[in-house]
Amino acid sequence: MDWMESTNMAVKTLTSNKLRTGLTMLGMIIGNASVIAMIGIGQGAQRLASEQFESLGPNVLFVTPGSQGARQRTTFLPRNLVWDDAKAIANEVPSVSGVAPQRQSQIAMTYGGKNRTTLVMGTTPSYLTVRDFDVAKGRFINDVDLERNTRVAILGADVATQFFEDKDPIGERIRIRNTSFEVVGVLQAKGSFLGSNQDDVVYVPLTTTATLLTGRTSPFGLDLTFISISAIDEANIPAAEFQITNLLRRRHKITNEDDFTVQSQKDILRIVGTITGGLTALLAAIAAVSLLVGGIGIMNIMLVSVSERTQEIGLRKAIGASEQDILTQFIIEAVMLSAAGGILGTGVGIAGILLVAAFSPLQAVVSPVAITLAVTVSGTIGLVFGVVPARQAARLDPIVALRSA
Amino acid sequence: MSTIVKLESITKVYGIGDIIVNALAGIELSVDAGEYCAIMGTSGSGKSTMMNIIGCLDRPTQGRYYLDGIEVDTLPDNDLARIRNQKLGFVFQQFHLLSQLTALENVMLPMIYAGVPPQERRDRAREALIRVGLEQRLENKPTQLSGGQQQRVAIARAIVNRPVLLLADEPTGALDSTTTDEILDIFGELNASGMTVVMVTHEAEVARRTRRVIWFKDGRVLEANMAPQDVGLVAAG
Repeated sequence: MDWMESTNMAVKTLTSNKLRTGLTMLGMIIGNASVIAMIGIGQGAQRLASEQFESLGPNVLFVTPGSQGARQRTTFLPRNLVWDDAKAIANEVPSVSGVAPQRQSQIAMTYGGKNRTTLVMGTTPSYLTVRDFDVAKGRFINDVDLERNTRVAILGADVATQFFEDKDPIGERIRIRNTSFEVVGVLQAKGSFLGSNQDDVVYVPLTTTATLLTGRTSPFGLDLTFISISAIDEANIPAAEFQITNLLRRRHKITNEDDFTVQSQKDILRIVGTITGGLTALLAAIAAVSLLVGGIGIMNIMLVSVSERTQEIGLRKAIGASEQDILTQFIIEAVMLSAAGGILGTGVGIAGILLVAAFSPLQAVVSPVAITLAVTVSGTIGLVFGVVPARQAARLDPIVALRSA
Repeated sequence: MSTIVKLESITKVYGIGDIIVNALAGIELSVDAGEYCAIMGTSGSGKSTMMNIIGCLDRPTQGRYYLDGIEVDTLPDNDLARIRNQKLGFVFQQFHLLSQLTALENVMLPMIYAGVPPQERRDRAREALIRVGLEQRLENKPTQLSGGQQQRVAIARAIVNRPVLLLADEPTGALDSTTTDEILDIFGELNASGMTVVMVTHEAEVARRTRRVIWFKDGRVLEANMAPQDVGLVAAG
């Protein structure tokens, strides 16, 4: 008997008990759907995170206080980065084109009876070019503001609409921590970055932050949250990283372990890739368990089916089916159950990915590798878990089988 | 006339733990082509064991069995499956039709295992069903057929591979007397057209429709050539 005949027979048997076939396949459907959806969603998250960091531009470097080694020792307090560090980088590192020191803090503010707590960012004029923001209205921080600690504020697009709606905010005054600031500019909307809204920010001169809003906390100068730096071009990134590191080591009098970290966009992308990749693998592994459970479900139903169909097996043997014929028939049934479940589950999984993509910022990633893998694996599971019941069927004694009325 | 079944010193011993049962003790028997025999005997007489061995569903413990000239007692399982498929046709008391298949598909089943091409399969199955008078019921599932009709489908399935021997195990045991007559008519017609038929039965009326009765008792052939009209006498005695 050839494969076509065996397949026809399996189809007839499976379609003759649709409810059972459906329920048996459900395990495989759920297993496959979850594997495909989890890998898809994981890869979507990975892509989203990567794209956000890529949107920073390939030339961007960040310097943050503390380092991997220093953070592991809890007693060690890293020396703060200060404005002088940023100035030194700008003056002494030739591969750098712009340096934006940043000092940020969540602070409550009011305008005309409206309250909100927003990220207040103290920075310098170079922030615009380093982070690639554009002014929509008015102006950004200038050198005069820095020198004179002026009380001016530039609003992110969302803050502007929240406070002023359709009104022109330029020239209006808002109160930040009980100090009155004049609004001199509004930035163009930029969207969110890793879940934080970049348009819900108020910019003030770095010097003003230190004197009026947060105060100084470092004996070495005006301390910063971090420094954004742009290199001349992508080729100069390694040079910039090296030079900045050397400069800061000298300035901080480092003898063994760095108390700061310099990271390029590539470094960050690699870290993000490792984290989200691990996350994806974890999700897929959890989903794979349900695939295994689905396989066991198939074996269970096939075993029941063999004992229920004892007479059929006996009859088939009496009219000339060999052990091989019976074995093939039952294995094909199991493989078809799991492969069909695999294909349906793939459909459900893709639908799930598209649904998630439609209602969240995650992009739809339908991975062909994941699909091939899931269907192959489920087919194999059917084969493996189908062998035991099929052997049991093939070895039935036809005399006993025919008499079991 | 050629010999279809030839049994020489057949014994069958079942061992269940320490208890040994001699189901068959030295059977010598032959059935020629074109015969119509009934195997009779009380329950436990060995007639079912005999049927299984003749049907190549079981092997004798000792002895020789020639089916259509082939020594089958030594053949491996796969060859026995092929012999059952090619040389034997089975009819059972409980019909044993596959409920998910139509009458036509049930009759086609042995030919699938024989490797007959699909179109020929269909034609031969239809032919066989017409022969048993079921041309109106080709596409019906077993549940839509009466007991007698189901048994006709089973007979069509048994003859469709043109066996040298048709084996029937209590073929009318589940049927009423009118239907029994109809089924026995079919067996009679088949035999008249040259088919060798061996039938196990415990009903005297059924045995009387055959042309030779073989009587089993305690694993031995008590009477190998009883005339069918004498059956009632022995059963009474």
